Parts: sequence; structure tokens; C-alpha cells
Amino acid sequence: MKIDCTIDGKALSLSVNSNKPLSLILMEDLENQSLTSYCRGSACGNCLVLVNDEAVLSCLVPAFRIRGAKIRTFESYQRSRQYRDIERAYKATGIRPCPACYNARTIIIESILQDLTDGKQQDGTPIARDVKLDNEKIIRELSLNTCQCMDMAELIQIVEIALGYRNRRRRVRRS
Amino acid sequence: MFEGVRSPLIYTPRSLSEFATVIGRHPQAILWAGGTYLMSRSDYYPTEARDGIIDLSYMEELKRITRTDRYVEIGAMVTARQLLSAGRLLLPPILQQTLSSIGTQIVRRQVTVGGSLCISDARFSLSTTLAILAATAEVKRYDNGKVTTHWIPIAKLYEKDGKLNLGAKNALLTRIRIGLEFGDFQRFVVFGDPIRRSDECGIVALQAKREQNGLSKVQFCVTFPGKAFHISKDIESKLSGSALPIHPEKVNILSHELVAELTKMHSTISELQLERARRIFESFLHDLNSQSLL
Repeated sequence: MKIDCTIDGKALSLSVNSNKPLSLILMEDLENQSLTSYCRGSACGNCLVLVNDEAVLSCLVPAFRIRGAKIRTFESYQRSRQYRDIERAYKATGIRPCPACYNARTIIIESILQDLTDGKQQDGTPIARDVKLDNEKIIRELSLNTCQCMDMAELIQIVEIALGYRNRRRRVRRS
Repeated sequence: MFEGVRSPLIYTPRSLSEFATVIGRHPQAILWAGGTYLMSRSDYYPTEARDGIIDLSYMEELKRITRTDRYVEIGAMVTARQLLSAGRLLLPPILQQTLSSIGTQIVRRQVTVGGSLCISDARFSLSTTLAILAATAEVKRYDNGKVTTHWIPIAKLYEKDGKLNLGAKNALLTRIRIGLEFGDFQRFVVFGDPIRRSDECGIVALQAKREQNGLSKVQFCVTFPGKAFHISKDIESKLSGSALPIHPEKVNILSHELVAELTKMHSTISELQLERARRIFESFLHDLNSQSLL
């Protein structure tokens, strides 16, 4: 099946099996180095990518659902301004995830930041904005990745600091 | 890898009439809603879906949420996240709690109501909660070009081991209907991780109406994914009409009756699962008692 989509800024026309998981397309067909595992959908949380700017587990997305989609893997995400907010938070706290879960954890944090600011859904409708940080919700989101390298308290601290940087950058841009 | 596997054809009907045509021509095709459960199976890929896949995501009719004075209707392709954000004012609290318990936001974007209810071999939280809310599902059955529509209570959609039974080989769950009159005591608990460790998991939900000093309209469901979907009419009737507070001895007797029932009807449930379900059920009743004393 021919599938046209944009991956990391490149418009591609892929000839792949229509039901092949996106994670396998990225790892096998495109040899993307930012994805490392294929857990067959058992939710290890290591294959996160951004599809139309929303984080998804790529092992749960079949090829036929990415027609016309804009996909960003960690490779291109790490060149964005959004990533810098999280990178600065890692630096500020002096804590960072291990190399095995670094990419996935960072994308989960990005997803949380999008929800806490004014992210929009695919159809353009705004996502309900959370007024304050709800630690329980954040822990739940972060638990999508099963790596045990970090304490939840450390991760919450990183989210709080990254949110501060994100809001500050947005305010500067608005003014 | 897997170069020899034939790529299944994807059909994308945009309306129910188009769907009827497609399912008539390809009765063996796989119906694809959110795909989260299908893709999480270890044998998902590579497999040969010989008669293709029918992608339901283009059918706008299945994405609507409508509300009247008496009920809410939710399309089968509404995602858990959409429902959670759209339905804060119109859904019963137990349903909100259930939706929040499904994975994380990232997963909830993909999980659809219909997909969750139509998993063929295992029941999870949404089926359990909708069963106690006495929700009904609209099921369209397709047989030799003839379409029949049936409204079936969610509790009757499943066998006692949790397997789906839509009543026909080619059937589509199009929407569900939830009445807006629900009990003032609702409890829902999931123990264990339904996706990562479904063998140790269980889901318990209870709804009741407190009237003066008694209980009425008690509905109780306990589910063990892949093992059992249990609604105990016996316990429901014993609780309905009970005076509050329920005597601790009666609570104890009822909880052990539940275990006896589950053991008799479902042999695959582990002792740990049984004990946890029993204690959660007891805690619900103690909670009812403590609230009745306020």
C-alpha cells in the first residue's frame, strides 16, 4: 500500500503493508534511531512519537491511519524550541532520564506541557486547560513509560520547571 | 522483515449505508475502531487479514454525542478523551472515573467507546461500568443485505466468561444510550493493571439508590479480564430493600456468597483476585454504612 505522509519534515511516499505498526515502519523501513524497542503493544512506552503534534504510542498506530499525517520523531523534535524548555529543566534540576527512556520520557513531558498550556486537538478544538498542576495526573501520565530510572518526585519537579520555561517563553513571544 | 506478508485492503466507509455495502461484500473483514486492543496482541503483526480491514474512523455518524432530558447517546467512535472532556456536565461521576482510569491521556486519544465494548474476548472497565448504569447499545445486524437494528442492554452483550456476543456474525455497535437517572451511591475500583497484567487484575463497580433508610436499585458487576464478567442478580436482590446501615454480619455473609458464586461459575479466577474482589465489595458496603450514619 502506498502511504503519503510527512516524517520529520520530509514528505514521503511509503510502500508498506497497510497494517504495519508505525513503530516498525520507523525502525525498519526508515531506520530511525530514536526508537529502540518493539514491545508489540504491551505499552512499554518507549515508542512515542508526535503525530500531528499529539503524542501517540507508535506501536498502536497502523500504517493506514498515518495517511497525510505529520509525524515527528524525537530526532526532529530535539531541534525544536519546545524541546529546549525540557532540556533546560533537565539542566536546572541536574537530573535526566537514562538513555533508554530519555526520548520517550521527554515526549511524555511535552504532551503534559501541551495539555497544561493551550494545546489544540487535530480538529482544531481547544483542549480543556488545566488551571494548576495535578501531581496525581502527571504521575499517571509519566507512568506510561515503565523505565525505573527516575523517581516520580524528580519527574514532577522537571515538569514544573519546564512549564515555567514554557510559559515564560510564550509570554515573551506574545509581548 | 515479513516482506512476504500480503498487505490487507483497507475499506473506508463514510456512512452506515456505505458500511452495509462493504460488509455485505467482505463479511470476514476486520472492523477497526481505535485499534488499541487489536494492536496490543502479540500476534497482531504480521498476520494476513485476507478479507481486509474496515476502518470506521471516517464515519461521522458514529462520532456524535447527543443529550436529551432523559438520556445521553454516545457514538461508537467517540474516543475516551473526547467523552471525558465533553461530558463533564452530563455523565454520571462513575463513568468519568472509569474513563479516567483507562490508560493515560495519550492512550485515551485512541481508545474508542465502541472498540472498548466490542473487544471479542476480554472485558475491561467501560463494559463493567456501563453494565451497572443499565446502558443499552444499538446493534445493527447485517444479514444477506438485510439490516436489523436492536437495542440491547450492555449487560446482555457478553457471555459469563466475558466473550462478546452481538447476536450475529456481521454486526456493528453504532451507539450507546445511558439514562440520566442514576443512583446516588456509585463506586468503581480497578485493581492491578488491565493491560500489562490482566491475569492479576479485576474491576468492581456498584451503584445503588438510597431512599430514606433503605437501599434500592442496587446494581453490581465484577469483571476479571479474559476470565469473567459477573453480574450477581442474587446479591443485587438481597441488597435491594436492605435497611441501612447493613449489619456487619450480613456484609460478611454477602461477600462470602459472592466468592462462592464466582468460584462456582468461573474456575479460572485466582484466589488473590477473589480475595481482592471480596474485600473491595465489602469496603463498598462499609462505605454505604458510614454514609448512611452521617
